[in-house]
Amino acid sequence: MVISLLLGGTALLLYLGAEAFSIANLRKEKAVFGLVAKALLTLGFAVHFAALEFGGRLTHTVPYRDLSASMSLFAWMVAGSYGIMRLRHREASTGPFLLPVAILFLGVSLLTHPAQAPAADPKLSGALFAFHVTLAILGYAAFTLSFVLAQLYLIQVRQLHTRKLGLLFSRLPALDVLSRMHHTSIGIGVVAMTVASTLGLIWAKQNWGTYWDPKVAFTFLLIGIYVLCLLAGRFLRWSGKRVALLSIGGYMLMLFSFTIVNLFITQEHVFH
Amino acid sequence: MSRPDESPLLLVGWDFRQTPVELRERLAFSPESIEAAVLRMREEGLLAEGVIVSTCNRSEVYGVRGPAALEGDPLLALTGFVSEFHGVPRHEIEGVGYRHMGADAVRHLFRVTAGLESLALGEHQIIGQVREAFRFASSAGLTRTVLNRLFQKALEAGKRVRNETGLNSKPISIPGVAIELAQKIYEDLAPRRFLILGAGETSSIFYDLLVARGATNIEVVNRTLEKAQALCQRAGRAYPWEDLAARLPKADVVVSATSATEPVITREDVRRAVSQRRGQPLFFLDLGIPRNVDPKVADLDNAFLYAVDDLQEIAERNRQERQREVVPAMAILEEELEDFLGWFGSLAVVPTITALRRKFEAIREAEFDRSLEKLNHLSPGDREKIRLMAQHMVRALLRRPTEALKEADDPTRRLERAEAAQYLFDLDIDPKD
Repeated sequence: MVISLLLGGTALLLYLGAEAFSIANLRKEKAVFGLVAKALLTLGFAVHFAALEFGGRLTHTVPYRDLSASMSLFAWMVAGSYGIMRLRHREASTGPFLLPVAILFLGVSLLTHPAQAPAADPKLSGALFAFHVTLAILGYAAFTLSFVLAQLYLIQVRQLHTRKLGLLFSRLPALDVLSRMHHTSIGIGVVAMTVASTLGLIWAKQNWGTYWDPKVAFTFLLIGIYVLCLLAGRFLRWSGKRVALLSIGGYMLMLFSFTIVNLFITQEHVFH
Repeated sequence: MSRPDESPLLLVGWDFRQTPVELRERLAFSPESIEAAVLRMREEGLLAEGVIVSTCNRSEVYGVRGPAALEGDPLLALTGFVSEFHGVPRHEIEGVGYRHMGADAVRHLFRVTAGLESLALGEHQIIGQVREAFRFASSAGLTRTVLNRLFQKALEAGKRVRNETGLNSKPISIPGVAIELAQKIYEDLAPRRFLILGAGETSSIFYDLLVARGATNIEVVNRTLEKAQALCQRAGRAYPWEDLAARLPKADVVVSATSATEPVITREDVRRAVSQRRGQPLFFLDLGIPRNVDPKVADLDNAFLYAVDDLQEIAERNRQERQREVVPAMAILEEELEDFLGWFGSLAVVPTITALRRKFEAIREAEFDRSLEKLNHLSPGDREKIRLMAQHMVRALLRRPTEALKEADDPTRRLERAEAAQYLFDLDIDPKD
């Protein structure tokens, strides 16, 4: 437990370092800052994985048994999704806005870290369940990134319209790049969430004898909204701004599903 | 470092600030005439080495004083040479240029290379022009130790200013601002579709700019089709004015520069075009005066409109930002200047001779003391004789190197010999000597 906590703390420090150098790179645009940020992020990601691995060994499963572990896993997925997008789009200037999500969730996870590993629940075990939860968390992480990217897109559009072109305008990527990054993160989220939901339905049928849970309806509505985001530009000729607003709306629904639905509507998707 | 009036580093120049364009044209050096001029200045003993930087905005001669210029004012002699070489009366060029020696000449070159002396403050083409001038002089054998080091240092300084300050980070010309804005909508402009309205001078400037950036999808719409066809000979296609409505939805960036007195693109035209574009934004650069594009277009979702006034305002803001970067740029240049002058000062002959003597005397004393320890049986008189012999030997050994350091007929050769002596005898130079 202590090793896991120490590794988590180290990962947090490395993420903070990556964030500091990302901000410095945004302000001064120096290649060396970008390289250091990338190295710290990669190292942080690896150390964070080690922390999760230690936590997982104690509970003999993917670390999602308690809220703290789930938040840590979520933070790791955010950092990973950002890393994938950075590689895919060769674009680092969004780092200062995306990394804080991973830092926040890992920080809260460390603060709420339980003294002892939660006892294993035999009902919530097995590969099917593990994949369901892990992929769902990856989906949430990707949608969180898309939420931040949608806002950056709107900021850039607003700056172009109002002609107030400050430092942020010159440093943030072009609209088409932001739009592609937004689509990539939504794409990751939609695929992960769809597979997670399908596995969840199979698991539910096997364990509960029914597919139905109110959470399912909200999740499919969420997937529907994000699929619309992917297709609206091409088939409905929606502007990027409109797609970004829809994406933000989708994220609000996700938060609603994660909080109100989990707490008051469903009995089965509650974190203890 | 020598006193300013003795410094071997020289500069005479004429730039856009003080010299009218007609005179600058007459003072310009072609690549062939650069070699001929420096070779002649060397033959006449005016310069030991030389580099000429000649662009549309400046003609500058950098050099190291030659043996014939050791007496009198070497800068006046250089000015006289340039006047004679170009056949321009001396009185016409004496009052309009600048003449520097020593640190001032070095500082000027550093400022030029960093773009601080350019018409468009901070422009970076000049660093390429200085590099080219140096490369040319170097390959023609016109430079040696001093100018090689000086120009390498100037290029390093220019590069540092470019990388470490915001002097060149934002464009200050209208076309530069327009391209930067377009790149904030579409990062890679090469595959984008451009629609140019009008085929006049402004359209032609933008057409050239786009072609230079690799754009091939350029469509030119003009009331006189022949003019549009004449414009897009290298790339793109010409369309008659009637096709404007059909071409508009297909464009990503529209550059409008017609002489129409009323807007030729209305809000309704753009609304219709945008609705056919599968969510892709449409960017308008309205360079017409009066405006060619209805200003209400700016209110539309997914359409962005910038007119000449907007571009001018941004260019002016960028200009002010560049101005603020002059102070940090100068700090970098002063650092590099100090570094260069430190090296240059260390090559002075007198400190080298002093260091050489100090080194030999130290060796003599050490060896003398070591030997005497083993020769206890010698009388004080014999010891004194040996000491004097060692002293004479050192003086005799140093006589020729000292003469060689002093006698060199041009400053560069003296500096080269000093550098060689420092290297061969591993000398520690104290510039105060």
